[in-house]
Amino acid sequence: MSRRGLTGLSSWNRRLVAVGVFAWCLITTFPLYWVVVTAFKTPPGVVGGPTYIPFVDFTPTLEPFIDLYQGVRGEFFRTFLNSTIVGLSAAAIATAIGAMAAYALVRFEFKVRFGAGLIFFLLALGAYLLFNNTLGFTRPQALLLAFPIALVAAIIANRLPLPGPILGNEDILFWFVSQRMFPPIVTAFALYLLYSEIGRLGFQLVDSYLGLTLCYVAFSLPIVVWLMRDFFEAIPIEVEEAAMVDNVPSWRIFLGIVVPMSMNGLLATFMITLAFVWNEFLFALFLTNSRWQTLPILVAGQNSQRGDEWWAISAAALVAIVPMMIMAGLLSRMMRSGLLLGAIK
Amino acid sequence: MLRNDPIKHVFIWPAVLVVLAISIFPLIYSLTTSFLSYRLIPPIPPRVVWFGNYASLLQEPRFWNAILTTTLIAFIAVGLQYVIGFGVALALNARVPGERLFRVALLLPMLLAPVAVALVARMIFNPTMGPLNQLLSMFGLANLPFLTNGHWALACIIAVEIWQWTPFIILMMLAGLQTLPEDVYEAAELENASAWQQFWGITFPMMLPISGAVVFIRLIESYKIMDTVFVMTGGGPGVDTETLTLFAYQEGFKKFNLGYTSALSFLFLIAITIIGVTYLALLRPHLEKRR
Repeated sequence: MSRRGLTGLSSWNRRLVAVGVFAWCLITTFPLYWVVVTAFKTPPGVVGGPTYIPFVDFTPTLEPFIDLYQGVRGEFFRTFLNSTIVGLSAAAIATAIGAMAAYALVRFEFKVRFGAGLIFFLLALGAYLLFNNTLGFTRPQALLLAFPIALVAAIIANRLPLPGPILGNEDILFWFVSQRMFPPIVTAFALYLLYSEIGRLGFQLVDSYLGLTLCYVAFSLPIVVWLMRDFFEAIPIEVEEAAMVDNVPSWRIFLGIVVPMSMNGLLATFMITLAFVWNEFLFALFLTNSRWQTLPILVAGQNSQRGDEWWAISAAALVAIVPMMIMAGLLSRMMRSGLLLGAIK
Repeated sequence: MLRNDPIKHVFIWPAVLVVLAISIFPLIYSLTTSFLSYRLIPPIPPRVVWFGNYASLLQEPRFWNAILTTTLIAFIAVGLQYVIGFGVALALNARVPGERLFRVALLLPMLLAPVAVALVARMIFNPTMGPLNQLLSMFGLANLPFLTNGHWALACIIAVEIWQWTPFIILMMLAGLQTLPEDVYEAAELENASAWQQFWGITFPMMLPISGAVVFIRLIESYKIMDTVFVMTGGGPGVDTETLTLFAYQEGFKKFNLGYTSALSFLFLIAITIIGVTYLALLRPHLEKRR
């Protein structure tokens, strides 16, 4: 690990660099300071022009927070709870199944024929069109029927000696990660339509816990697989080989040896995923409307509803920000122990 | 060494199934819808128009405006993020005094909800009651139209993007800098290379692969920008700051013009793919020269 002093720079230049970093730090922290102090201001403290120091410039008050708690500006308490429930469960599920997939990609060999992938896509598309247009099924029904048919056909096709390249573990990883490149609007909009058509068949997914969590799990998986693969690769294989000699089954090696050894990595991945779900806006905007609304939607709504009532807006923003501030503290502590270094190789 | 054990399917299938289901369903759905003329309001039965939606989109000035705006935001913001982020990472790596203190503060913005950040930005950029206005008044520049003039609004959005995402670059570059080998620098010092020469001769080329990856991630993510703009300007004034995602949202969720919106999101997907592939093609010769 190279930690270089600022060699080759005069002491004057050294000071210049320190001032630059300090200036950036000031730019970073000022808006945070601003939102914290504004949340404790009274209306006159805001409208009278910018004020900065509590007790000197203005008298702090808890009024905005009491309003929030009493639900004067939307149901903050329940929305906070929604965000917490959806965030925790989506992050936990995504970390669990993502870690399993990442482990499989690190330790087991996979071969997928390109032809099989192509067959899957074409068959899914063709069967969907057939069921929907010719046989008169509704769109969700057609999709639900087309999916297993295409999947089974692709699995069978994978065993046949098809021409074309054979894709390995690296390609599967790339496929996972490339899902993240997709503009989410493509999925969000289509998912909304799909969910609402399924809803018309009697199974509500729009504005439901299940629909939102499922979508968040799918969208967190690429990042989880990508991060966890690096953590698993760093584990020496000898430990696992020793266990294999004793005929310990793979799932016990995973649960009993690999998971405990990569606990820090799992925790960091969980927190990063949680932050992503907690802050997510677009999917929540499309897929919720009242019962399962999350914090970002409610916070964004404050703006149009309440014009320039900054004390209230600040308090609302603070509610959304503070849990992540605490997590930043935890994460940076883990960072110091060199934990996240592996993630970017 | 890779094992081969049937249990591998149990490990990988849950994740594959979830991702397949959530990505392939919408893909097929919107691909087929993009060839239809399909509106929910007023409810007209869908009609096949083949490439009609695509053709009318390509003639729509608002679409090109959205592409231009998004590209401007993405390229300027990511460029500046990279320069500032690399600089700060270099300084932190060189143990600037007080470096430990900075770390948490520097990490913070990227973990905060963009919606909340945009709200805070609205307060700071307020032309009469915001602190920035007070600061600039001291220099005789009172009441600048930060969010009500097209160019200013675009600059403000870029500034917020830089504020929020430079920490990501700092984090990644710092981690990369710490893996650089010490001995190359020792050799350079024996040759009396200046700090400037050391940077361009050693640090920058050796950091190129990481830089390439980090800029790529940020560029792709920046093209998806929506929440910041949604809260700060709502795409206004007029459509001056309307990004692609916001345009699609307006068309789809306000007008319920489904075929048109699906075609739009596919054009967006194609544009992102072109940008990504071009970027990687441009970067590749530089990376291979190193090996």
